[in-house]
Order: sequence, then structure tokens, then C-alpha cells
Amino acid sequence: MNPPPDDAPTATPPAVELSGIWKRFPGVVANAGANLTVRTGTVHAVLGENGAGKSTLMNVLSGVYRPDEGEVRIDGVVHHFRSPSDALAAGVGMVHQEFRLVPSFTVAENVVLGAAERIVRRQAVESAVGELAERFGLATEPDRPVWQLSMGERQRVEILKALWRDARILILDEPTAVLTPGEADELGRILRHMADDDRTVVFISHKLHEVTGFCDEATVLRGGETVAASLPVSETDSSALAGLMVGSSPVISERPPPVVAGGPKLEVVGLGCLDDRGLQALHGVDLTVRAGEIVGIAGVAGNGQRELAQAIAGLRPTTAGTVHMDGMDLTAATPRQRFGAGLAYIPEDRMGVGLAPRLSVTDNAILRTYPTHRRGPFLDYEAAVAHCQDLVERFAVRTGPLDQPIAGLSGGNLQRLLVGRELSGRPRVVVAAQPTRGLDVQGVKAIQDLLVAERGAGVAILLISEDLDELLTLTDRLLVMHGGRVVAEFDPELAVRHEIGEAMVGHVPTSSASA
Amino acid sequence: MRRPVLARRDRVLRGGQPLAFGVGLVVALVVGVFLLVGSGHDPLRVYARMFDASLGDPQAWSVTLNRAVPLGLAGLAVAVAGSMGLWNIGAEGQIMAGAIGAAWVARIGGGWPGPVLVTAMLAAAVVGGGLLALGPAIARARIGVNEIITTLMLNEVAIRLVQWLVHGRWKDPDSHNFPLAPMLPDNGRLPTLFERAHVGVVLAGIVIALFGLAVSRTAWGYELRVAGSSGATARYAGISLKRKVLTVMVLSGGVAGFAGGVELSGNADRITEGLSNGFGFAGIIVAALALMRPSGVAAVALFFGAVQIGGQSIQTMGVSSSVSTILQALILFGAIAAGVLGRYRIQMVAGDTVERPSTGAES
Repeated sequence: MNPPPDDAPTATPPAVELSGIWKRFPGVVANAGANLTVRTGTVHAVLGENGAGKSTLMNVLSGVYRPDEGEVRIDGVVHHFRSPSDALAAGVGMVHQEFRLVPSFTVAENVVLGAAERIVRRQAVESAVGELAERFGLATEPDRPVWQLSMGERQRVEILKALWRDARILILDEPTAVLTPGEADELGRILRHMADDDRTVVFISHKLHEVTGFCDEATVLRGGETVAASLPVSETDSSALAGLMVGSSPVISERPPPVVAGGPKLEVVGLGCLDDRGLQALHGVDLTVRAGEIVGIAGVAGNGQRELAQAIAGLRPTTAGTVHMDGMDLTAATPRQRFGAGLAYIPEDRMGVGLAPRLSVTDNAILRTYPTHRRGPFLDYEAAVAHCQDLVERFAVRTGPLDQPIAGLSGGNLQRLLVGRELSGRPRVVVAAQPTRGLDVQGVKAIQDLLVAERGAGVAILLISEDLDELLTLTDRLLVMHGGRVVAEFDPELAVRHEIGEAMVGHVPTSSASA
Repeated sequence: MRRPVLARRDRVLRGGQPLAFGVGLVVALVVGVFLLVGSGHDPLRVYARMFDASLGDPQAWSVTLNRAVPLGLAGLAVAVAGSMGLWNIGAEGQIMAGAIGAAWVARIGGGWPGPVLVTAMLAAAVVGGGLLALGPAIARARIGVNEIITTLMLNEVAIRLVQWLVHGRWKDPDSHNFPLAPMLPDNGRLPTLFERAHVGVVLAGIVIALFGLAVSRTAWGYELRVAGSSGATARYAGISLKRKVLTVMVLSGGVAGFAGGVELSGNADRITEGLSNGFGFAGIIVAALALMRPSGVAAVALFFGAVQIGGQSIQTMGVSSSVSTILQALILFGAIAAGVLGRYRIQMVAGDTVERPSTGAES
């Protein structure tokens, strides 16, 4: 891991050269002298944990932010971008994590939006976009409206937008976060194709197997600084990269020791429900979670996982099937009755469902138990504050005054408060939906440890996650959902990543349909 | 090139709202100097008159307090709905509906003892206001009809209803064919507190205090605030939104109706279509200035009342009513604008884009 020989005179200057980039926000230093050098015609990975400063650095490169200090060189020329369009003029295009597409417009219309002549001749534009797509192997239908497209297709439209504007340097911010494993592989092929065309790709990720799969070089950021610059991927492996990303702490929690699972605690039989658009989201889901067991649900977002969690928690009406806890029928029970019966629910949407953003820390701490903190019609705020204080201490929530709105808390502390509140009710079943998403390493570890501790205490846990590593590490059994059904079950210790991926897109290998 | 943007403060300034009123008042009075000089008046004399007429002596206080009563109750009505995230834009109509209820009781209860009649009138006013809000409440709770539209439209209905009564069934036979309802019976009037202030001042204070306590300290109020923060969170906590929406909207209407009853029996001779005179709409401003907190509306209403009374008083000095109205508006604008600075601070940023720290984490 020697520092790269910067300022070494080369025949062709690197496509991108960021040196000594500092960017400060109130209370946060996002980039502290970060460097990045990307050679022309390569796919370059930028790695780092959440909060490592990847997105900020890319926003500097793409003209969204202006650095406080430091220099941006494109093809050897110093640039001072004042806006993303300045960057685009220099050939730098960015594909953001959240797509910026007009759903009712067609693919072609979205691609040329803002970069077309005044009069758009539909057919000419469609065929031009089609040609461009074909040249880079981006399978797409230019005349389809965007709302009909899958996430993978939408991403291809975003890439086309950048190519249409003649971006020679393409930045992709966590492009595979929304893709199925198959789509991610396809994206890898497309990016290689572009690199062969002498374009340069900067690829932000924290999924190591993708980096080793189709990137040439990798730069690792930690705490806003570059800890490893332009490592040739062929000379390193994922565990070395992982070590760089997180420093001394282990990448992922250790596999908890096996516990002998007890009797069934949560039994879901033939569950059906509708999604927000009124379409059938679940088609007869059966699952059982036993005491002292973590059952994982893997799947590409939008295959019924969200609806399953809500239906079990009583927040979504069911159209078929039953939910039993400890033999008690909860199918028609209210959310409060379910909580009273020992069902804790950690919802996917922390701020909008699990917490009330405008209320104080104390008010949020008693969200589930306020009916017990009463003195006549009044809430017993002394007891409430004591309860809140207890939660804050036991679950190490870092918070300001307890009477201030929770909106000021960081994501990790919000989740600790929420999880702590749910677990303080001594649940027998925990339904956890994406409990670690968006948290930093410490936050992830804290939440995972809490779940494992509950499992050790004989609680039945249903863990829904999009992080396959997390599922493979924490769960005792792993179910895969596709199209509103449980399509496969794996033993996480024996499972093959590739087969899980296949099951996630609905290709169920008959041999491992039930491991 | 740097330009200012508003950035949310991590913590709302303590005492920020009273401070805002002070700052707003000063700014408006300074700007008002130009307005008054431009229209040929001596600003100092005008301002002295405004103060004397609104807060200068007990008599002025009594007039200001009387004005603060309907403003405060209307503001309370809006704030009670607002703490659940509902917008009751129909306080104006509900005030009229309340007045109709009270006036109807006064017609049939002319012979009752004073305290009985007044109590019955106020109770009828609450029912009247609540009834007018019942339709929007049911529509909102059952099928999610936007309450802003329905409550707003019912304002017209209530005002026309008063016109119809005054021109028709309730027209005073002794009014020489003028469209006027008969005078209230003397036993239907609220007793006087001091000078011109009526007992409604005390009643309004009690009602505002009760609601303030209910919203901030009771389990019922807690549920209201959770629902106001996020409906999905309320469902998660097991709070029945339908029932809550229904009771809160009807209560909000009842409070506005109460304002109509108090205004009729405390301040007016008879029911007229001009009885409310915009109190319902002013209530929205009062509630907004009180940050939708029921406990804050009393102070805001007093401030607002003083501004109105002071503003009206200078018309007798020859200041035109438009100048007086502009002056009132300036003071309120100043207070609202300064209030924003209690929650946001001004930050100078470079470039065209609004920058936020990107943590990579979604919240």
C-alpha cells in the first residue's frame, strides 16, 4: 500500500486528479484532504463506509459542491466548477443514487431533456437514443414511459443521459444498491464496455465483491481522508480492502454461536395483502419463527418484504391467511394489542412510522407505553422522563436535552432509541425491517448485537434486510422472497451466494429450494 | 459570490417568539414612520395615540381585552386542529353558527334568569359551531376529504344563513322594515368585569388554559401531537385516527362557536352578518404566530388585539383607514418574519446550490 507516485510526469495526464480536497459542513468535516487519481479508460472504485466522505468527494468532482481547499484537475487541466453543468461541459457526468427522471416521459424524452434542440422530432430522437444505447450495450426501449421500467432499466436511462451529454468521465454513486444481483453483473459488463471505449468510470460502492469483480483500481476513503489510493484490484483481495475501509474493527459481526431453537413463536400461514396501489403484494406467505432463532428474509426491494412486515405488525389489512403468536390468533388484532402480546416491530421507515419527528425524545420514548404512564387523564411525565432516561442509558443513545425534538439526533441514535424502546417491552417476537440500513459501522454493530442478545434470551426474530452479508452472518435460516412469495429457504452456513441471488430474481434452483 | 439562505437551527431559540414580537414591532414602527410622514402625519403623535388607545389606561385595556377574546378563541380553534395537523379554515363560519345558536336560545329564553340564559346561550353556541364542523369532520375521517376546502366553503353558508335569518324569520317587527334581528334581552348579556371588559375575558382565559393543558399534558393531547407529527406513527402507536379526527374537528368548531356566543352576548347588541368581522381568519394568523400551540394563543391574541384597537383608534385623528390597516399589517408581518428567525438562522453560502452535508445515510 505505497502511496501512488503523484505528480510523476506521464505521457497522458490522468482523467481525474483530485488533490487535497477539504470540505467542511457545520459540525462535520466531510473531506479532510482527500486525494483521488483515476487513469483514463479504467473503472475505478471509490470505497468507504457510510460517512467516509465518498459522496461529498464525488459531489466536488461533479460540480455540486465547491471544495473549501484543494484542486480539481480533469485531463490535467485545473477546473473550478461552479455548477454541475460546468462539470458536464468538462466531460464529467454523474449518475445519482436517487434517479432524476420524469416518470411520465419516455426513455428518449428523459435522455434528451434539457439537452435537445428546441423542436424535438420524436422519431429522430428515439432512433438516436436507440443507437447510443446499442453502442454501449444498454438494452432499453426508447419509446417506453419511464414509470413502466424496473430500477435497473431506469439506471440505464440515467447512464444514457450522461452519455448523451458526451460525458467522458462517468461517476456512479452506489449504482448497484437498487439492482438485483443479475442486473448488477449486467451493469458491470456495461461499465467495462465504456472503459474499453476509452471513457473513465468512477464507481462508488461498499460491496467488495463488485469491486473485485469489474474494477481496475480502487481508492479507499476513511473519515474523509484517502487511506489507500489507486490500488490495482488484481493485486489485492476483498478482505484487505475491507480492512482498509473499517480500520481495525472487524468487517462484520462474528456469527453468533448456535442456540437450540425452541417451540414456534410466530406462525404465519397463507398470508395475503395488498400494496399501496391496491395490487396483491403477498400471495400466501407461510413462515414460522421459533424461540431463540433469527429467520432472515432476503429479496430485492419491492417483492413484498415491506408489506409482510407491516401485515405481521398489524399496520396493513390482510386479505387472506392468519398470524399466530404463541398459539394466540392475532390476525385481527390492533397494533397495540400485538405489542401488548409481545410483538415488537422495528419499521423500515424510522422517522415516518417508528418515531414522531416533531415530538421530544421523551414523547418518542413512551410512544408504545404511554397508556401505562397515566395519572388520571394526565400523562405522568415524571415517570415518562424516568423511562426515557433509562432507555437512553441502557441503549447508549447520544442525545441532547430530553425535552427537545428528536429531529436533531443522528440516524444511529434514532435507531438505538427506537430499538431500545421496542426491546424494553420484553417482547417474545421481534419483526425487524432493515434495522441497520443507513447506519455507520458502530451503529450497525450495536443494533446487530442487540438482536443477537435477544435471540440468546429466547426471542423469535424475523429479520428483513437487503444486506445479504448481514443476513448470512446473523440468521439461523434464510428465506428468499420474490413476487410476494417465499420462493426458497437456505441454510446460511451452507448457502451459495450465487444461488441466493438466483432465487432473489425468481430462478429457483430445484436442488436448493429447501436446503 | 455569496448569498444568504435560511438554515434551520438545531434548537429553537428559547423565548424566541416573544422576542420576535418585539423585533417585528420595532421594525414595523420604523417603516411606518415613512408611511405616516408620507401621508402627512406626525408619527410620534400617531404612535402615542395607538398606545394610549390600546394599553394606556384601564379603559383602553378593557377594550383591547374584549377584542382579544374572539381572536384568542378563534386562534385556539385553529391551534387545536393544527396540533393534529388539521387545518380548520372555517372558524369564521363556525363563529357565526355559534352566534346563531346563542341568538336562538336568547329568543326563546327571554324570561329565564340571567345566569341560566347566558349559560344556555354559550352551550348552544358551542353546539352550533361544532355542528358546522361536523360535516367536514366526518368527510375527513371517513373518506379523507380535504378539510381545508370543506371548512372554507362552509364559511359562506353560515354567513348567508345569518343574512337569511336577519332578512326573514328573525327580522325585528319593530325595526321599521330594516333587516335587523331584535336586540338581545338584558338577561342574555354577559356581566361586566371592569370598565368595558366583560366576563368573557375570564371565560376565554379558562378555555384556553384548559385546552393548553389538555394538549400538552394529557394522554389525549399526546395522541393528538403524535398524530400531528406523523399519521403513520400514530397508527403504529395504536392511535385510532378516525375517531381523533372527528373529535378534534368538532371540538375545534365548538371552540369557534363559543367565540361567537361570547362575542354576541358580551359585545354585540344583536346578531348581524358582520358579527364576526374576520375574527375567524385572524385566528389563523394568531394560531400560526403561537406556533400552533394552544397555550400560546392568549398572549398572541392580546398583542393582536392591541394592534387592532390601536390601529383603529388613529382613524379618528384623520389617518385614513388604509394607512391604519397597512400599519397593522406591517406589525404582524414583522412579527411573523422575526419569528422565522427564532427557528432559522441566516447563513451565507457560495454558489447556486443549497449545500447540505451528505452523510450517505438516509434518515
